[in-house]
Amino acid sequence: MFEPFGRLWKQAPFRSTYDAVIVGGGLHGLATAYYLAKNHGVRRVAVLEKNHIGYGSAGRNTAIVRANQRTQENIPLYDEGLKMWPQLMDELDFNLMFFNCGNLNLAHSEAAMGALRLQVASAQYLGVRSELLDRKQCKELIPHLNISEDITYPVFGGMYHPPGGTVRHDALVWALAKGASALGVHIHQQTEVTGIAVHRGRVTAVETSRGTIHTLRVLNAAGPWSVLVSAMVDIRLPIHVLPIQAMVTEPLKPFLHHVISSGAYHCYANQSLKGEVVTGAHMDPWISYGTHVTAHYIKHQAEALTELLPCLRGVKFMRIWGGLADMTPDMAPIIDGNDPIEGYYMDCGWGYFGFKSAAVTGKYVAEYMATGRCPKILQPFRLKRYEENRLLGETASPPQYGPWN
Amino acid sequence: MKRLPHSPTQRIDTRHPLPFSYGGRLLEGYRGDTVATALFANGVRIFSRSLKYHRPRGLYSLDGESSNCLMEIDGLPNMRAEQVPLRGGMQVRPQNVVGSPERDLLGFLDAFHWAMPAGFYYRVFHKPYRLWPFFQTLIRRAAGAGTVNPSWEPGRYDELHFHADVCVVGGGPAGMQAARAAAQTGLRVVLLESRPWLGGFYDWRTVEHHGTPLYERGRHLARELESLSNVRVYTSCTATGLYGDNLVTAVQEGGPDDFFHQRYLEIRARAVVAATGCTERPLVFEHNERPGVMQPGCAHRLARTYGLLPGTAAVFSVGHDLGLEAAADLHDQGLHVACVADCRSDGQDPQRIAALEERNIPFLRGWVAARALGKKAVEAVVLSTTEGSATRTISCDVLAASAGLTPLTGLFSLARLPLSYDERTGYFLPASLPEGLYAAGRLVGYDDPASIELSGTAAGLRAAVHCGALDAPRADEALTELQDNHRVLRGSKLVLAPGAGARSFVCFDEDATVKHVRQSVRMGFDVPELAKRVTAIGTGPSQSGIPGHNLPLIMAHLRGESAGTLRPTTVRPPLKPTLLATYAGLHPDIHKKTPLHDVQERAGAVFRRVGVWKRARYFSSDPTCRDEILNVRNNVGILDGSTLGKFRIFGPDAEKALQRVYVGDMSRVPAGKLKYSAMCTEDGCLLDDGVATKLGENDYYFTTSTGRAGATVEWFRFHTRHEDWEYYLVNLTDSLASINLAGPKARDVLQQLTDADVSNDAFPFMGYREFRLKGLVPARVLRLGFVGELSYEIHIPSSMARTVWQWLLEAGRPLGIRPFGLEAQNVLRMEKGHVIIGQESEIRTTLIDLGLGFLWDRTKTWAKTVGAPALQFAESQEGRLKLVGFLVDGSRPPLDGSIVVDGSIRGHVCTCRYSPTLDKAIGLALVDDDLAALGSRLRIFEPGDPPEYFDARVVPTPFYDPEGQRMKC
Repeated sequence: MFEPFGRLWKQAPFRSTYDAVIVGGGLHGLATAYYLAKNHGVRRVAVLEKNHIGYGSAGRNTAIVRANQRTQENIPLYDEGLKMWPQLMDELDFNLMFFNCGNLNLAHSEAAMGALRLQVASAQYLGVRSELLDRKQCKELIPHLNISEDITYPVFGGMYHPPGGTVRHDALVWALAKGASALGVHIHQQTEVTGIAVHRGRVTAVETSRGTIHTLRVLNAAGPWSVLVSAMVDIRLPIHVLPIQAMVTEPLKPFLHHVISSGAYHCYANQSLKGEVVTGAHMDPWISYGTHVTAHYIKHQAEALTELLPCLRGVKFMRIWGGLADMTPDMAPIIDGNDPIEGYYMDCGWGYFGFKSAAVTGKYVAEYMATGRCPKILQPFRLKRYEENRLLGETASPPQYGPWN
Repeated sequence: MKRLPHSPTQRIDTRHPLPFSYGGRLLEGYRGDTVATALFANGVRIFSRSLKYHRPRGLYSLDGESSNCLMEIDGLPNMRAEQVPLRGGMQVRPQNVVGSPERDLLGFLDAFHWAMPAGFYYRVFHKPYRLWPFFQTLIRRAAGAGTVNPSWEPGRYDELHFHADVCVVGGGPAGMQAARAAAQTGLRVVLLESRPWLGGFYDWRTVEHHGTPLYERGRHLARELESLSNVRVYTSCTATGLYGDNLVTAVQEGGPDDFFHQRYLEIRARAVVAATGCTERPLVFEHNERPGVMQPGCAHRLARTYGLLPGTAAVFSVGHDLGLEAAADLHDQGLHVACVADCRSDGQDPQRIAALEERNIPFLRGWVAARALGKKAVEAVVLSTTEGSATRTISCDVLAASAGLTPLTGLFSLARLPLSYDERTGYFLPASLPEGLYAAGRLVGYDDPASIELSGTAAGLRAAVHCGALDAPRADEALTELQDNHRVLRGSKLVLAPGAGARSFVCFDEDATVKHVRQSVRMGFDVPELAKRVTAIGTGPSQSGIPGHNLPLIMAHLRGESAGTLRPTTVRPPLKPTLLATYAGLHPDIHKKTPLHDVQERAGAVFRRVGVWKRARYFSSDPTCRDEILNVRNNVGILDGSTLGKFRIFGPDAEKALQRVYVGDMSRVPAGKLKYSAMCTEDGCLLDDGVATKLGENDYYFTTSTGRAGATVEWFRFHTRHEDWEYYLVNLTDSLASINLAGPKARDVLQQLTDADVSNDAFPFMGYREFRLKGLVPARVLRLGFVGELSYEIHIPSSMARTVWQWLLEAGRPLGIRPFGLEAQNVLRMEKGHVIIGQESEIRTTLIDLGLGFLWDRTKTWAKTVGAPALQFAESQEGRLKLVGFLVDGSRPPLDGSIVVDGSIRGHVCTCRYSPTLDKAIGLALVDDDLAALGSRLRIFEPGDPPEYFDARVVPTPFYDPEGQRMKC
């Protein structure tokens, strides 16, 4: 065990035919590839990544996992995902560093308590542990929390979700790549998809920067770039790509033992196993593929955090980075296939929830692609719901991203 | 330790001793010292222990390139001792040690480095899973550097936001010349320098250029610059960020005479000149971070700036002429220089070699340090030829080691410029710079003082051209002169010393070695961006300070490729770790108060933030607001509704604009009457509601909800952007206050303030009137019924609001008037079945789902009403959530947010209260349409331990006064 690893994933020959091609070497793509090979015996699978695996949202998120969403369409999926971490660590023989620290969402008004109550009720009714705490209980949970009245948004209470926590995001990328590669999946980095060939309503091939691949099944798991991949087959996705930022402080000895978040302050924070306080939440209100950061946001975050957790005043920000979120109008993903193009599947529009859902979604999308039938748990996420004006209820209030969402 | 005799380059003042404590010991330094130099003067050599292996770490550099000198200073963890100016009485403590830095009980971990290959933690501790939480706790404890201090009270944190024409980053010779050149064209110039003084690398050097010692030249330039009135110089001020459109952020350390502790600066500049210079490229060899190993520049500055000899006997292993200069100068200062090795086989300045020969210092060309010997400090060094063909061991207690120079390209990285390898300098630099960003000096490879200064002038002039203060040819002259006469440095190309491996540190912060990089390449993480993730190289507090440009060179070398095939990893803001307290700055609490805030506060109001406003929620400690509610129902109450959006729209196409955004037919807004209408999104979902009245032809007055007031102008503009319409929209929200006078006795109160006829006949329900109150205050009065009683919304100039409020209270006193807050209003309106957007609606709730479909006029298709097509589509759609009123069995209401269930989740409670008026628990809920029929039974689940179930029945709304008699009478 003290010897270094060999290659985690093999350098594979570039074949001209695969049983399935996955566009995007992020978590959803790698997980789907892994489960196609593992659960369904579909092993001639290629994962195409235009950059390096895990270089997009998979490597830029803040690694929080939880199952306290708002709707019954979402909760079971995330709940199953949450229960998979211990098993995956074992199965992939990789320490994913699942830190089951629990998540506390704060409420700063009567109305926000009502909104959290709805989430707690839904979770409890569906058998997921989640509870409402009053102000004092929040303080007991997080002794550094400021519950005084003289801050911008005084704390009213919170929603505590013990099963949640964090997982080391890069580890998941590598573990899935390792697992998939061991089962025969080919991972091709620096390979950009330039077109998808469709003949008589059926996918026949994928054009790439390294040549043509013949295949009858393609999964669009390209995250923010899924919109562009989809455009190759003339499917328009209601996805807006917005820049999202996060940052870390210098490492400190453990003092924050839960994930804490606040809608009113628009921020969340948790302490990584390495000791850094990881914090984020803000999305820029303009559409962009630039992963830039802004001066405004790092200042905002400092203002918010120093109110909520005054002990952080004497802590230093070390690094801020940007990523992209593929936002749908109802903050729920688009998972669909064979409609209207046979063999064309989509798993995208995950916004900023794509990390926590990756493994479990990959499992079901693999089933979808292997059988051609959409598993029940994924059925609420079909693309047609937008056309039918039936949004999912994951978010209650409109996100204020002007002109005009 | 005795300081060297005074020399004019020194920056310490030995007449001002400063006492401070270190780990309980009382020590003394001088004004001008940093904490690190003061500790060094007192014999401290081990400043910290490393993250993973707890190896001893010493003073390596003076500008914060590594975490070696992170300490707890005055209660703050992770302070860089080499950059913190010493103050009297400071409390300094070592961190991340068990015991002391000299005797750290975890020091044994270094012997187990073989057990911690790259990414080792991903393969251990997780099997069996039940043991993982235990190891997790151990990992958490071992990780992290300093300890957070909850009782630390920040001092004063200032912030400055300003504009400048040219912002120069770096106050060395190039930066000073750039600032001067730009300033001479009359522009406003800002110069940021991270050290406490200007001068850059001139500051400690005594060699002469054109007959003047460089330090004198530096001070001369600084004085000249400081005398220019259009140049603002900020020293001890580090640029931390460069953002879009040349927004520069910086952090300034307050000096002893400043009123602030730290200051955050945001500078919007038209042009930025980067003149950040170079640092020394770390030489990577075995035990390259043993205490006693330091940058040649660090050794030189210790002596020349702080009057401290770095040791007694030194070996130099250098890759640039500055190192040769330092060796000769330190020899003159009294340091025994045993040997100077230079990894370059040729290209040295002959003068520098002659100077070494004069002093009988042995000089080895093509040699390099390959291994430092000694356990806690350097005792000897093994030198080797660069090919490794011969070695020789020399005793020393200082090893001044460097592989050459490396440019400080942080700003380029922040500007998102791709760096590429330059063969001559060996630097990674951008191929080109965008308009508005210029670079000068050593940063871009100029080496000799003349070139450096000229490049600064050229950059300053080009920045001036960009700002329009100068014609381009003038700037070109300087550039041409620079290109014609001056050469750039030929940098050393050595990547690794021979034999570099398991103890050759690529990144000090993360204890990552050449072996780790090799393992990472073998695992498939074969480019810097991937290696960074698996080895954590460059993710520590000093980011790329040590590994920076070395990592891509080392990786290319390990892959058997030529230098320059790989690029450095991305450097991100802040370039220097910055306290949250500094970023938070003054952090004022920004919110809007209505003109009635103070009078309500005196009346005992409890305020809540509602969007940008603070609004009164309660007027007592009773959260049910029973008295406030009943007083409105029985007598009369007043509510401050000033946050309500208030607008006037006029102009030839005003009516068309209203038709576009409102679902109703706004051509039918009568004069003297109010029309209630709503705005929808394109999805047909309710966005806003309010009333409108017609003041004249194409001249309307209308209201919006509080939350939409700020966005309304943009909403109109956006939805009429393709029309060539002429209309004017004025937001009157802040200029007009609004007081809601409601209750059966409201008319009696209002009548006392006006001669106008306010009888039900003259001023009926949904009427709009303008008259003066007490003959003085012009008022727009809207007769509405949100709370279900006779009520008047009185809009008056904000400046008169308090007066009118008092008049109303006085007039109403005999009638029992009292103020009521938002929660009372919430219950009152709920009893009437009126919705609050966001409370009774989700983003997917259409106008029709809320039972407000009657507001939509389907005949005006010509108006292209926003949302109308969606309303048509969703009108008869099944399976939607509908808003219903319900009556709870029993008197205790389920709390808001409880859910409606029947095996699955079928809806949720939006608002539910005990109604003191009706003596019943009533509420509004969004439920699946098959549960929406009158009489349907609802089962409500309120979470808790244990959860509670409620039974309820769908009933018609309004609950209270369904015919509306009370508001119409």
